[in-house]
Amino acid sequence: MTFSKNESLSRDELQAWQLKHLKETLLRVYHLVPFYKKKFDEHGVLPEDIKTLEDIAKLPFTKKHDLRDNYPFGMFSVDMDQIVRIHSSSGTTGKPTVVGYTEHDMDIWAEVMGRAFTMGGVTCQDIMQNSHGYGLFTGGLGFHNAAERMKIAIIPSSTGFTSRQLLLLKDFGATVLTATPSFALHMAEVAKAEGYDIAKDFKLRVGFFGAEPTSEGLKNEIAHIWGIDYHEIYGLSEIIGPGVACNCKHSNLLHIHEDHFYPEIINPETGEVLPEGTRGELVITTLTKQGLPIIRYRTGDITSLTRIPCRCGRTIGRIESIVGRSDDMLLINGVNVFPSQIEHVLSKQEGITLNYQIIADKKGYLDKLEIDVELDEHLISDDVSYLGNLKKELQHSLLNNLYINVEVKLVAPKSLQRSEGKATRVLDKRPK
Amino acid sequence: MNYTIKQLSIFLENKAGELSEFTGVLSKNNISIKSILLADSTDFGLIRTIVDNPEKAKTVLEDEGFSVRFTDVFGVKIEDVVGSFDKAVRALSKAGINILYTYSFYEANTGIFIFSVDKDRFDDAIAALQAQNIEIVQAKHFYM
Repeated sequence: MTFSKNESLSRDELQAWQLKHLKETLLRVYHLVPFYKKKFDEHGVLPEDIKTLEDIAKLPFTKKHDLRDNYPFGMFSVDMDQIVRIHSSSGTTGKPTVVGYTEHDMDIWAEVMGRAFTMGGVTCQDIMQNSHGYGLFTGGLGFHNAAERMKIAIIPSSTGFTSRQLLLLKDFGATVLTATPSFALHMAEVAKAEGYDIAKDFKLRVGFFGAEPTSEGLKNEIAHIWGIDYHEIYGLSEIIGPGVACNCKHSNLLHIHEDHFYPEIINPETGEVLPEGTRGELVITTLTKQGLPIIRYRTGDITSLTRIPCRCGRTIGRIESIVGRSDDMLLINGVNVFPSQIEHVLSKQEGITLNYQIIADKKGYLDKLEIDVELDEHLISDDVSYLGNLKKELQHSLLNNLYINVEVKLVAPKSLQRSEGKATRVLDKRPK
Repeated sequence: MNYTIKQLSIFLENKAGELSEFTGVLSKNNISIKSILLADSTDFGLIRTIVDNPEKAKTVLEDEGFSVRFTDVFGVKIEDVVGSFDKAVRALSKAGINILYTYSFYEANTGIFIFSVDKDRFDDAIAALQAQNIEIVQAKHFYM
């Protein structure tokens, strides 16, 4: 079942829609946002030069720092009287990025989230516990607004206060959970420690998780521990927030709502557009947004795109689960390493938890990669040779999967820091 | 008779101060270490220890963030003469019991060997040793 007819248009119909809205968006940004006029002029391209969808490659990219440079509202294409919601990043790595939504943008956001809920089989009969943070982060309110419009009972539990979350989850009998994967795992850990019987005490059947690159192994583990269907939801505030893409029950690939968000995959080094099926950096142009239309935004997320229709009947393109970030990809002695690849290996090993810390450092002139792996307190053995073998096996599997030598360090149960928002897995100590 | 001694096993990361933090917690809580063995590799260590109040020790250690598990072991009294350890080991071997590890310590005039065997062979091990008139230390010996 689909939520809107645009999800299953013929390719010709979809492309006609995309081109029409792309042209409108380009005229809008060129004439209303000085940043784009300047940038297009410098690039020698006018909105009228874009006659086909392929012509989009003629346009310059927009990067995160462009949003920062135009802090706070320089990228908006409407006056403040049209803006009904403002979100912002935390700005921990510099000036925050600010995004604004008109009423129309809020409708689109709710619509694409509604599509995701439909993919998960969620209806107004459900109760949704929203454990995404509320506030400037788009996760909490993005889910909240869409759920309300679909008349889904939503519990705005926000993140943190894990014991109380569990109490609510049990007493209110939520059937749907939304959270970051790391928080979902943390909740399960606390539930076990507090003596809950996850199968009996909770009624969850579906979960929507996102905001972190997540390995197949971790997804399976969360699905298994909670006994739920795992749906991955992808999004970023610069485009709209959660709801840019989501997977249905038929595959692990995420349907990207390309009638609103036009996707391209580029080579992150050269900027060249790559063919379907090739991995590279996801670039998105918004086609229908009014408050903050954005042209060829470099998401930094590494994925691939396919337009083969899905068994569910949707014809919109699909992206694979984010493999990593073009900026958190580690280059270790010339080899590309994504934290998600490491997590994949760890998820296959018994006796450890999926809380880990990756540390990149220098040893002389060479790069050195260390992974601190946390022992599972329930499986910890008082046998030195077992632990020694565990370490060796892990190093061996990492070598086989990543083609580099990784130093594994076993650390005591619960000694690594827990996160309630996005987990910080990588510590790069190498001098820049 | 109760021969089950609750040995504590604690995983330690190999860094300066880890062991002293461990011993500090016990001493601060008036817990006496009866026997301790540190099995180590280059980057981590496992402490196996017998103390006078294992339940309290587990609680206070866990409060300080240590991960503690109990392993049931038993102690065999060994006289300081050639062949007495051999006698105990042979009794177990004859009964087909695998010794996971063993370590010894001395009190004023006797030695005690601590044995760890597979959980489901614990009672067989006790019986095999008793059949050879080997003295097994009662658990309460340690809990004062």
